[in-house]
This record gives sequence, C-alpha cells and structure tokens, in this order.
Amino acid sequence: MSHLFPSHLKFTEDHEWTELKSDIATVGITDFAQSALGDIVYIELPEAGTEVSKGDSFGVVESIKSVSDLYSPLSGTIVEVNMALEDSAEKINEAPYDSWIIKIKVSSTDELDSLLTSEGYKSHCEKNS
Amino acid sequence: MELQKTVLSEDHIKLEAKMAAFAGFSMPIQYTSVKDEVSSVREKVGIFDVSHMGEFLVTGPDAAKFVDFLITNDFYEVENNKAVYSPLCREDGTVIDDLIAYKISNEEVLICVNASNIKKDWSWISSQTQKFDVSLTDKSQDYSLLAIQGPDSPKLLIELGVLKKEEIEQSSFPYYSIKKVSIEGSQMIIARTGYTGEDGFEVFSPSPEITKQLWSQAIKNGGQPCGLAARDVLRLEVCYPLYGHELADHITPLDASLKWTVKIKKPSFIGKDFLSSYEPKYKLVKLALEKGIPREGYNILNSKEEIIGKVTSGTLSVMLNKGISLGLVEKDKFPKDKRFFIQIRKNIFEASYQTKPFFKGGHK
Repeated sequence: MSHLFPSHLKFTEDHEWTELKSDIATVGITDFAQSALGDIVYIELPEAGTEVSKGDSFGVVESIKSVSDLYSPLSGTIVEVNMALEDSAEKINEAPYDSWIIKIKVSSTDELDSLLTSEGYKSHCEKNS
Repeated sequence: MELQKTVLSEDHIKLEAKMAAFAGFSMPIQYTSVKDEVSSVREKVGIFDVSHMGEFLVTGPDAAKFVDFLITNDFYEVENNKAVYSPLCREDGTVIDDLIAYKISNEEVLICVNASNIKKDWSWISSQTQKFDVSLTDKSQDYSLLAIQGPDSPKLLIELGVLKKEEIEQSSFPYYSIKKVSIEGSQMIIARTGYTGEDGFEVFSPSPEITKQLWSQAIKNGGQPCGLAARDVLRLEVCYPLYGHELADHITPLDASLKWTVKIKKPSFIGKDFLSSYEPKYKLVKLALEKGIPREGYNILNSKEEIIGKVTSGTLSVMLNKGISLGLVEKDKFPKDKRFFIQIRKNIFEASYQTKPFFKGGHK
C-alpha cells in the first residue's frame, strides 16, 4: 500500500507531521499513521494555552480497536486546537494532512532540525511496516 | 517463533488485509474497515477465516459421556446433531477455556476451542480420560474453519451449493445444530453457530482446496471478508464473553455471570463439588458510555469514586456509535444505586448500566 509523504512537511518517528510558518507549527498525524490505526473514531484534545515540550503527549487518538498518544513534535505553547475534530475524527482518515490537530507557538525554531524529512520518515515507516 | 498460517493466508494478503499475530497465527485483522465489516455482518453477510481455532475429536463408546463429565453445561442429555456452549473447568471451578461441543452422535463429538488455549486444553482433556472408553485426536491442524455470518448467510450457502433451500430452513437446521455435508468427497461439518449474534454458519473443512474454493466463491457472491477486529466488535455488541477477558484462569464461570452454563444438577462433572457451594466474588456488568471509549483495564468506580472493578473488554459499537464494555465488578462492592463510572485517563464518565445486550442480533 502506498502512503503520502509530502516533502514540505517535517515528521516525528511517532508519526506526527508538522509545518512551521514563522514561529507557528501546525501539527497532525501522518497518512501512514491513520492507515495503520484504521477507522479513527475519537480524539481527546488539549486546551489552548497548554505548554508542551518536544515529545510530550498532548492528546489521544482512538480507532475502534486502539488508543494512541499524540506527541508534540516541538516545544512551545499550544495556541489553537482544531475542536471541529471532536465531532468528526474520521476526517483524519480522509485527509490526514488537511486535518491539523493543534498549532504551537514554538519556543525555538532550532528544534525543527531534529525532525525527520519526508525521505527520512518514509524510510522509517518502511523499516517499521 | 514462526507464525502459523491458515490455508487462506495468501488470499488474505492478495486482499491487502492487515495481518497481525494472534495466538501464534498470522491472522487477518481487517480488510476494508471495521465499520464496513461489522455493518455487512449485521445487514448482509460477512465471511471470516477463523481457522486458528482448535478442534479436538472425541470418539468411542463413551464420547458423549466423557464430554459431559469434562464441561459444566449439559451435554449427555442433548440430542444428536446439537451444539452446546460451555466453560471447561478445573476441580476448583476455575475456567481453563470456553468451548463449543458438537454432538455428532453419542460416539463422536467435535470440540472447538480457543486458539490461544489449544495446548493447555489438550493437556487437560487428555489427562482426564482414564475412566472412559474414548480416543482423542487433535484435529486443529487438519480443519479449516470458515464463519459465514449475517442475515444473508443462508442465501449465500445455497448459492455456493453447500446446502439446498429445504435443508437450510430453520425447521430442518435450527440454531445451534449441525449437519454433515459431503463436498467433492470431503466430509464437512456445518454448524449453525457463530460469534456475532446474527444468523450464521461455521464450516469445519478438512480439505484445503474446498476451503479456498468456498472462500473465493463466497466473495464473488457478495460475502464481505471480515477480520478479527470486526469479530471482536460484533461479539461485544451482543455481550458474548471472550476467554482472556471476561473469563480467565483465576475465576469461575459463576464470577462471569455464566450461571446458565453450570448445571449443578448433573450427576457428575469436573468442578461440581466446588461450584455447588461457591459464592461468586465478581459480577459481570454491561456498561455503555455516551462520550469516550471504555477499554480493557480501565477502572470502574462507584458514585463515591471508589474503584469497584475493571473493564474486561471495551470498544466503540459500530451499530450504536457509542462506547460499550463488559467489566468485572467485585460483588460486595456492587453499588445499590446501580450508578457506575469509568475512568478514562484523567476523566471520569458516568456509564449507563444495562441488563440486556447492547445490541440484539438476528439469530433465531
């Protein structure tokens, strides 16, 4: 099965994607992740204003059969939460890269370099599938 | 350790099923989506490869007597060609496994057991034969098992030429009964049983070729391939217990609210003495949530937020679109006000306590 790995995004090994524009990072989960999870039916979202460090769990996504933590790819403050997903978590299956989950005002853009490129993430997925 | 494969393994891979290890087998977890697969079984017909299940054949003059002694439910008294669901217990009443015993005759019984317990069951059952004139054969490697489940399952079996219309009517083939059918010289055992709550059949096939043929023809005729994930949702919607969850080595059937399967009045069976005077420690509860999905291991609380039990199985119900669960609650902590709460991470949600299965399947 082939998955999408957009080249303008950065990725974590835990299957989050992020796109940094000035100091705001938009975060979601990848096409590979949504496909592995299957039908996504529930999402537990954080509150805006929550501070997160890179690697912190900021929420939970559930499929019919599984529960998975969401991990912050970068450190900073959550400034916006996509509350619409609470009633339409299945959008993440349909369009994972259009279904952002949170936006983080990052404390330092330097952390971005520690994330995977689309090529790096793709080979990470191939190793783990 | 290398995973065992069923004879349909290549078919599953061709269908791009998600495969995963289950009880030492590589098994299909899902093909399209759990939602599609569950809906197909409820509304049309789904087909499952459940060849990982174990099959033991008991033959000899005492076959039915022996099985009656092994299991807690009535077996000796039931008619030929009937199936019986029962726990299999030790002398101390604890549950080794739950199984379905198919009485072909008083001299021939097929027992179907959980894949994860095949070795444990075999060593237990084969150690109990001393007083009986029986022989035991482990057929687990020889039999494939297909489950064909859903309201259109009779129609599908007719289309596949397995049974004729008059053979499949409820009057000649009732729920929890079996038929022996020969297909191209191979003896199939077909049971009107299943794990979904719908009308359906389980086909025990000794022939890999016929198993493959039935599988691919069933798909051509509209059968939706369904994986183990959908199977688990289906059984939980109708509140069927699953060994390793509601039933386990350390509890008795009476702790899992399975009193109807323990026939204390039977003359003799393993565990009778103990179970006759046993006061259950737990009660199995059915709890539904409007928000949040209960999962195995989550705490069940009373209205004072004291822990009174644990969820043993939980999922989102596809048919009801809400969280459903079974759980074991300590009997002396069972709340008089019947108010139950489930803790999901940091949050506590009030659950609705149900006395009937979450969903009523269509089987007769």
